[in-house]
Amino acid sequence: MRRYSIVLLSLLALALPALGQADFTRYVALGDSLTAGYQSGGLAFSISRNSYPALISKQARPGAAFDQPQVSEPGIPAVMELRSLAGPTILPKAGGPARLENAPLVRPYNNLGVPGANVRDTVSTVTGGLHDVVLQSFSPALRGKSALAQAVLQSPTFVTIWIGNNDVLGAATTGIVIEGVTITPVARFEADLRAIAAAINQTGAKMAFANIPDVTTIPFVTTVPRFVVNPATSQPVLINGQPVPLIGPNGPLVAGDRVLLTATTELRAGKGIPAALGGTGQPLSNSSVLNVAEIATISARVAAYNNIIATVANERGAALVDVNGVLNRAAISGIPIGGVTYTPAFLTGGIFSYDGVHPTSFGYAYIANVWIDAINAKFGTHVPPVDLSPFVFGGASAAAGALTANDTDGSNYFSVLFSDEAKHNLFSSLNISENPQPPPGGGRGGRGRGGRRH
Amino acid sequence: MRRRGISLYGIALSALALAAVAVPSYAAGFGIFEQGSKAMGMAGAFTAQADDGSAMFHNAGGLAFLTEREVSGGLVLFHTTKAEFDGASPFPGPNAHAKQKTLSQLLPHAYYVQPITQAWKFGLGLEAPFGLTTEWNPNTFAGRYISTKAAVRAVDINPTIAWQVTPTFGIGLGAIARVSDIVLERRAPAVNPFTQQVIDVAGVKLESDLENGYGWNVGILNKVNNSFSWGLSYRSKVKIDYEGDGRLTQISSGNAQLDAILRTRLPFDRDLPIATSIEYPDMASLGLAFALSPNLLLETDVNWTGWSSFDKTTIQFTNNDLPSSTIRSEWKDVENYRAGLRWTTSPTTEWRFGYVYDETPQPEEAVSPLLPDADRNGVTLGYGRKGNSCKADFAIMYLDFKDRTRKKTFQGESPFLGTYQTKALLASATISF
Repeated sequence: MRRYSIVLLSLLALALPALGQADFTRYVALGDSLTAGYQSGGLAFSISRNSYPALISKQARPGAAFDQPQVSEPGIPAVMELRSLAGPTILPKAGGPARLENAPLVRPYNNLGVPGANVRDTVSTVTGGLHDVVLQSFSPALRGKSALAQAVLQSPTFVTIWIGNNDVLGAATTGIVIEGVTITPVARFEADLRAIAAAINQTGAKMAFANIPDVTTIPFVTTVPRFVVNPATSQPVLINGQPVPLIGPNGPLVAGDRVLLTATTELRAGKGIPAALGGTGQPLSNSSVLNVAEIATISARVAAYNNIIATVANERGAALVDVNGVLNRAAISGIPIGGVTYTPAFLTGGIFSYDGVHPTSFGYAYIANVWIDAINAKFGTHVPPVDLSPFVFGGASAAAGALTANDTDGSNYFSVLFSDEAKHNLFSSLNISENPQPPPGGGRGGRGRGGRRH
Repeated sequence: MRRRGISLYGIALSALALAAVAVPSYAAGFGIFEQGSKAMGMAGAFTAQADDGSAMFHNAGGLAFLTEREVSGGLVLFHTTKAEFDGASPFPGPNAHAKQKTLSQLLPHAYYVQPITQAWKFGLGLEAPFGLTTEWNPNTFAGRYISTKAAVRAVDINPTIAWQVTPTFGIGLGAIARVSDIVLERRAPAVNPFTQQVIDVAGVKLESDLENGYGWNVGILNKVNNSFSWGLSYRSKVKIDYEGDGRLTQISSGNAQLDAILRTRLPFDRDLPIATSIEYPDMASLGLAFALSPNLLLETDVNWTGWSSFDKTTIQFTNNDLPSSTIRSEWKDVENYRAGLRWTTSPTTEWRFGYVYDETPQPEEAVSPLLPDADRNGVTLGYGRKGNSCKADFAIMYLDFKDRTRKKTFQGESPFLGTYQTKALLASATISF
């Protein structure tokens, strides 16, 4: 009898799906713009159809439905494109207005990544910005339900959670570190993340968490040099053999200071450049520069958040995806794929899109494989990796821009012009205030705006 | 093309070397064991026989027993009947399929044997013990940024002296002068900033000058009695330092603006000095030959090759025109096993049969379009006929490579996953006077 039992158990084991301990029958993704598949400053289904959750779903359950918002071209807001390399011009695509093409659904989307959402938003926000699109607030059945509530409503079997980027991103992109305004207090972050984990755990779903990248390493922060650059050669201007630092709010920038991508508009107007070199002699604005202390504060906060994410993931028996580690390694040695080395370099690196914050289609596909590796390792599943070829050579969605073959003056290739319109679109879609103010009596993080700047 | 670092001797030999063509790799790694039709007919199980000019390659000790002046020469035809690649995810993915360009090449061998006295013999051999060509379509192959062509040519000039110490024991010692060059070609990629997808922006060709290196070989052969003989052979490592030039040829992106920028940033259309080196492995063979009957002889050999010398290849742009690069190999020492049967059907006629199992020295992580090596089995058939003043030997070999699948990658290296399938047919003819 015992022998028959063993045989039956063996047959049963063989009959189980080859997905180990994870069941993707009802897979739900919680997160922010990175989960939504946001790219180049906008959300458009031509791109987000290859969001990392969609790719994971496709690999785990080929052919199974995985619902996401299907925003038509040119996206909400309009996805940006590169128009020219001469004084590189990045502008939102023309056309529109975009619309949600798959509304109304009678149930929540599987992909509940809301561009601009932070941890608190995931728990409690039900409307505003792109929440209305992703959470279908126009639907009476779903109105008033947060992303977390909509996830629970689906009785998920597997949930991926990548949230927390916007709890610190605003500080990096506005150059202003204000505790409680552009950067979320650690205790609040932890409480909200634990609330998410607890609610999902109640459903019985397996979970996977991703940590968040150090936002001070993204092209939005790292692209523009802190020195005066000769626009004709794209090389630093040398005086007595030394490069000339730009003028920041507190004087010449020093080693470790960062000039944000959005500063290119001011630089073009001569701000931050000494009068002797043809500039106005006026300093760059606060919102164009991250100083050393601010960077340290942001990096420390990212580390604190990531510790919390790792702790919560461990407590819940969840997989932990080290996206931060992957992008840090990419910054050091690049991502080698078939003889191509991808880097975080803006425009030419292939990992980050035109907004300098969000990945390209290749970047999302690569990240999907990082998720899959972590999930397979944790749960003993055999989800196959995403085929990267279409994202390397084309064939998948891409942020295809206009080719302006007649313009042959490419000398300003690396002095990027990130238009005011592009900046406004990016900030508004991510719920980032372009001029954040401290709350009455509120504190400031680290040695931020109120601290001594060099 | 500059010519430097080559001795006069090397220059003199280069003309001979140019007669040799690069071939696909047929012994594991990029060794070539087919250096004479008689030995090839017995799958190279020849260390304990070594009774023709190819003794200079297989076992210099055998030269001691040759009694007549002999000049021999031949050709081996290498024909790849299948050399295909099927990709796997994550890159290049299951839709990637490619075939190497069909490779049919002829490789020469030649030997001169001159008895000096009854006991002392001199010989001069021309062998090509290493060689490699892999070639993929540069326009369509998904691995074109790794390699579109890799060619190693190496020819040995092998003067040998041998001493028949006793009627049953001979020893031989040779010098090896190896002349070689290398060609590597690939495409250079870049991310098109307009599409955020990868495009080809240059063809890259690295071509070494003809360089040389030196080594030695030794062998002993003991014909214990009419029924049994054994042989032992060793060929040393040979290190060759290569110099040459690299050249980048621009490929239009279709966008004049982007092309103009790339022209300012990449050194197109000029010679870029390069340097690299290869340490060719040492080899040792032990053979045992048994006369099963007056007409039937069986030989079994084990050959060892010290491929661990092929650890990595660093290509330096000596003027820092481009960053240097390193190809990790991390090969291991390997053995191959050979068995040959010689059937003498008449005083002038022999039939030969053979089998070889050849281990690959290449770890899975190093399998790439540059050289997708694999374990292989080979079977051979040979025929020899003696005339009054000459003899002719013929052999054919079928090589069945095991499918070679790469699923893993060295830490930090570029994944290019998939399965390589290779089959090959070899035919050889050697005429001796």
